[in-house]
Amino acid sequence: MTQIQMIQNPSFSLISTKKIIQMNDVWTSYDSKNFALKGINISIDRGTNYAIIGQSGSGKSTLLKLMNGMMNPSKGTIKIDYVSPNMNNKKFKNMMHTIGYIPQSLGLVKNISVLENTLLGALPRLSKMQSLFKKFPEHEIKEAKRILNLVGLSGKEDRKAYMLSGGEKRRVAIARALMQKPTILLADEIVSELDHVTAHEIMDLVADAQKRMNLTAIMVHHDMQLALEYANRVAVIKEGQKILEIGVEGDTIVDFQTGDMTSDDIMEMYAGDTKK
Amino acid sequence: MLVTPKNNIVIGIIIGLVVIASYNVDANPIDFVKGVPNLAIVVEEMLLVEPKYVPTAIWAMFETIQMAFIGTIIGFAIALPLSMLAARNLNSKFVYAPIRALLAAIRTFPSILWAILFVIMVGLGPFAGVLAIIMYTIGFVAKLQYEAIETIDSDPMDAVESIGVSKSQLIRYVVIPESSSHLLSQLLYMFDYNIRQTSILGLVGAGGIGFYIINYIKFFEYGKAAVFMLVVLVTVLIIDWVSVKIRDKYIIKSQHGMEVTTK
Ligand SMILES: Nc1ncnc2c1ncn2[C@@H]1O[C@H](COP(=O)(O)OP(=O)(O)OP(=O)(O)O)[C@@H](O)[C@H]1O
Ligand SMILES: [Mg+2]
Repeated sequence: MTQIQMIQNPSFSLISTKKIIQMNDVWTSYDSKNFALKGINISIDRGTNYAIIGQSGSGKSTLLKLMNGMMNPSKGTIKIDYVSPNMNNKKFKNMMHTIGYIPQSLGLVKNISVLENTLLGALPRLSKMQSLFKKFPEHEIKEAKRILNLVGLSGKEDRKAYMLSGGEKRRVAIARALMQKPTILLADEIVSELDHVTAHEIMDLVADAQKRMNLTAIMVHHDMQLALEYANRVAVIKEGQKILEIGVEGDTIVDFQTGDMTSDDIMEMYAGDTKK
Repeated sequence: MLVTPKNNIVIGIIIGLVVIASYNVDANPIDFVKGVPNLAIVVEEMLLVEPKYVPTAIWAMFETIQMAFIGTIIGFAIALPLSMLAARNLNSKFVYAPIRALLAAIRTFPSILWAILFVIMVGLGPFAGVLAIIMYTIGFVAKLQYEAIETIDSDPMDAVESIGVSKSQLIRYVVIPESSSHLLSQLLYMFDYNIRQTSILGLVGAGGIGFYIINYIKFFEYGKAAVFMLVVLVTVLIIDWVSVKIRDKYIIKSQHGMEVTTK
């Protein structure tokens, strides 16, 4: 498209940057025999809070690992902001720092402090010398402390990561991801196994960060209720396939395949599937 | 069960092999019994310890400790980057395979052979001994290091890698902290072990307390040799005790996830 056409079509730039994640007939496997994902089609707009739910072993974590390039599809295409997520792709390597990933296992470095774990998110912004001598600039340390305060960990900055409770560890992992100043946040069950109040606190935190940073959040949940409460879109995965995708607007739920439903209908349909 | 027909056959074969090998190396229990009186003579002469040699012995031991110390630290420092290249979870086959081969080659020589080699190269004296300890430490400790690195949890590695950090940042900020207690423990072990090794390098003229011991033994001056051997014994016991203390304080605790005080 030429420059003139772009000017004539003012929505062009909007359209072209709107789809931040696109997956087209994606298949993948760990062991060449069984496919963990079978023909996934997903398209996510910038700024969406996208929830993925499904039974244990349905392929939710695998889906996230494909989005951040830790796994590659055996068939189909994936584009993250129009770039193929692959560790060997230079272009993708250069944008990895904008993708905050919180794995199901959290992946904290246990022998270092909460503050140091948070600062890991700033590593791509350090110069070679700064990173060699572990010299984080003052403003980064300040930012890390601000984020830790935000996630409710002020006063625990110097604790070693292994000395934290499960919920506190999750907060550190969130802080590390926020420290990256991400445009995409991939969060794998960060509130499962937490009590109701803490789960909502953490979800509110993400929702808040999302508003302020125009973040696209893709969050895996075990709990349909929670997904419906926070997400604009909910995809249900079963045995490696997307069996349903719904949009949430206020209390109405739009199923793209069968028309309108109420949240009660959906929950009745999938409660059995999503409870542990 | 331990005693099954199959196990009995295996045990029988092992015993048979021991007997055959003993015959081949002329190992005869009767010679051993006959030799006991000789030992008694040596022990008797050793009991005539000559205390005026104690200061010299302590000084020689001090030199030995310094040699072991330099050798351990420098060897360890050279081994660390090599082990990062030899770890399978950090490198492709094309990198780790040749490095592993190199380390295996270094390990085929015991320290005393390295010492002979370096005595030929740089002449008699402690410097040759230090070089021998460095080489031995590299080959030995790098293997321990890369094995420790390969056992570290892949979750933090994956998580931090996905932030888009460089390989050197991954090593600096995840690999080293995650394996630090193993590395510290290896460093202590190696120092402890190197003191014992350095004590015998004098046998080939590569400095240290072994030089005195071998010379006195050559001239049948067991009383003097005994002083030096006692000093080695006491030093080794002290170092053993100190490293157990350090290990208890820093390593065991951190591995069990308890608070580690670093005062
Ligand atoms: N490292 C692996 N090696 C082999 N198979 C794997 C591996 N990780 C996951 N799988 C398999 O892939 C499938 C999808 O796993 P995945 O982790 O994506 O499930 P999930 O939906 O995240 O489950 P959960 O809710 O329990 O976290 C499962 O059948 C699982 O056994
Ligand atoms: Mg999972």
